Amino acid sequence: MSEPLRVLVIDDEEAMRESLAAWLRKEGYRVSVAADGADGLAQLSAGAFDLLLVDMKMPGMDGMTVLERTREVRPDIPVVMITAYGSIENAVTAMKKGARDYLLKPFDPEQMLLVIERIVGHQELVRENEALRERLRQSARDGVGDLVAGSEAMVDVLELIQDVAPTDAAVLITGETGTGKELVARAIHALSSCAYGPFVVINCGSQSETLLESALFGHERGAFTGAVSTQRGRLEMAHGGTLFLDEVGEIPSKMQTDLLRVLEDREFTRVGGVKPLQSDFRLICATHRDLPARVKSGAFRADFFYRINVLEVRLPPLRDREGDVELLAGYFVEQIARKLGKTIQGFTSEGLRLLCGYSWPGNVRELRNVLERAVVICRADQIGARELTFLASEEPDAMVPMTLREAENSHIRRALDAADWNITHAARALGIDRVTLSRKIKRHDLSRTK
Amino acid sequence: MSVDPDTSPLAEVVPLGRVPPVACAVVAANLQAVLGLPTQVVAARQMPPRAHLRARDQYDAAPILSALRSEVESIRVRVGVTALDLCLPILTFVYGEALVGGRVAVISSARLAAWPHGTAVGTAAGTAAGTAEEPGLLYERLAKVALHETAHALGLTHCQDHGCLMAFSVGLEKLDSIHLVFCPACEHKLVVGR
Repeated sequence: MSEPLRVLVIDDEEAMRESLAAWLRKEGYRVSVAADGADGLAQLSAGAFDLLLVDMKMPGMDGMTVLERTREVRPDIPVVMITAYGSIENAVTAMKKGARDYLLKPFDPEQMLLVIERIVGHQELVRENEALRERLRQSARDGVGDLVAGSEAMVDVLELIQDVAPTDAAVLITGETGTGKELVARAIHALSSCAYGPFVVINCGSQSETLLESALFGHERGAFTGAVSTQRGRLEMAHGGTLFLDEVGEIPSKMQTDLLRVLEDREFTRVGGVKPLQSDFRLICATHRDLPARVKSGAFRADFFYRINVLEVRLPPLRDREGDVELLAGYFVEQIARKLGKTIQGFTSEGLRLLCGYSWPGNVRELRNVLERAVVICRADQIGARELTFLASEEPDAMVPMTLREAENSHIRRALDAADWNITHAARALGIDRVTLSRKIKRHDLSRTK
Repeated sequence: MSVDPDTSPLAEVVPLGRVPPVACAVVAANLQAVLGLPTQVVAARQMPPRAHLRARDQYDAAPILSALRSEVESIRVRVGVTALDLCLPILTFVYGEALVGGRVAVISSARLAAWPHGTAVGTAAGTAAGTAEEPGLLYERLAKVALHETAHALGLTHCQDHGCLMAFSVGLEKLDSIHLVFCPACEHKLVVGR
């Protein structure tokens, strides 16, 4: 049950004050009373209230002064003015000075109820809003959860995220594959002023130039073969929110020019369209490429680079995050075990040694995948060497170059061995479906006895 | 609710001024039947003179409640019944009023004898209860107000369940829409409070 509304009644007439307080108490509100403005303001500064009911005409400090002082110190608290000397001028003045509403006394019970219900409704909305914001902040923190950090390098990054999030500036997130660039982008979005807007992601490296253009700008019906209906592009979808261009280093040069124009004018047209469309969004880009080097070599437009790189967040690779492997591993295991309904109490000393000794070329993503697999196959209450056989094999001889086919063969065999040849578990650990794994087992002629 | 006349506390119904005996009998019967309180109608009292607000020609419920509080310690709850129009200094009118947890309440029939949309059915404000063309409806409303205010006097506040007797009734239409029962949560509070 929610907390009762806390109301402060300020009225110099005892009969009015007490009868109003009694009536409000019947409504279940927690009511305090004050016989004059000074006492009222003193109570206001000493306690928490959700609503003030203030008589307009009082000896000494009048209601209008109480209203003004309240607005100065607690602008968030709604004030309803009560007057027996009702005139529209008084009411208008009070409303102009920030009163939420006014009542002419004696007032009709229905009128009183409506005014209070309206204010309570508004307060509840405000509270819900705050709760939503808190949930957003929490989810941002949870999002940052995968960026769990104890190392100095990562703590600096988290601080930088807090600093850049409230600005509208374009952010470029750089770092190796698997370092969590999208998570950082989501955290920046969630902490920004456009957190309530959409977070629109597009991977610029995964599609052809034509498809990328259509996905970004949208297209009109009949713009090209197969364009059977008009489609909105990501630029339109991101209006009021954040557009996240992942793998921005892969954007073709011509499209860099088109996007530069959009970023400067906030205006564009759909493919095959003539009508200019507006979209207001915050831009966040990410890349694992060395963009300054690509700018220098002419492979990336300098003007576009400077436009998207107003603020840079550089994510360190996991191998440079001292102490974070253990921290992240504990976090992931708890999260994954909870999801799978298993109880796992961390790692054996050998397991921890293997985790901390590995170089993690795939960074946090690789760590998470390894642990996902380890939790699945773990039969004990701690993850040990048995669940981390992949890591144990990172010996110098295992690093001898081999063909892709040999590497795949070896990797699949180890996954199957680790899963005790349970195809479902091995497929899950490898991040592929059972059918694909079965096909690969057949292609590599793998069997338990071999 | 079961009634044990030997152990249950007593409720008193006090006619204030001229009130038809049947009105008090209805109130008493409902307090006993719904709240399980053995109830008796006692001798009529005069309305406290200071309750009369000359300028409004209405009766302030607060002084009436103060007067009803005398010697209330010996009983569980005391309910005053009047045919005169009640108000509070801050409100234009009330059907009834009670001190929350203060064991006294006062109710009025003055505004209960009108059709939901405002057409009088024969009882003007200030006229004795029981003269409405639809006395059954008047008494049902009176019983609802009596139970509502008595529950306030026993410590309950308004309820968010629209069908409960403790829902706030701002008009006769609303009063007519609620049932003569407390919701389980309010009934539980009443039982626990006994």
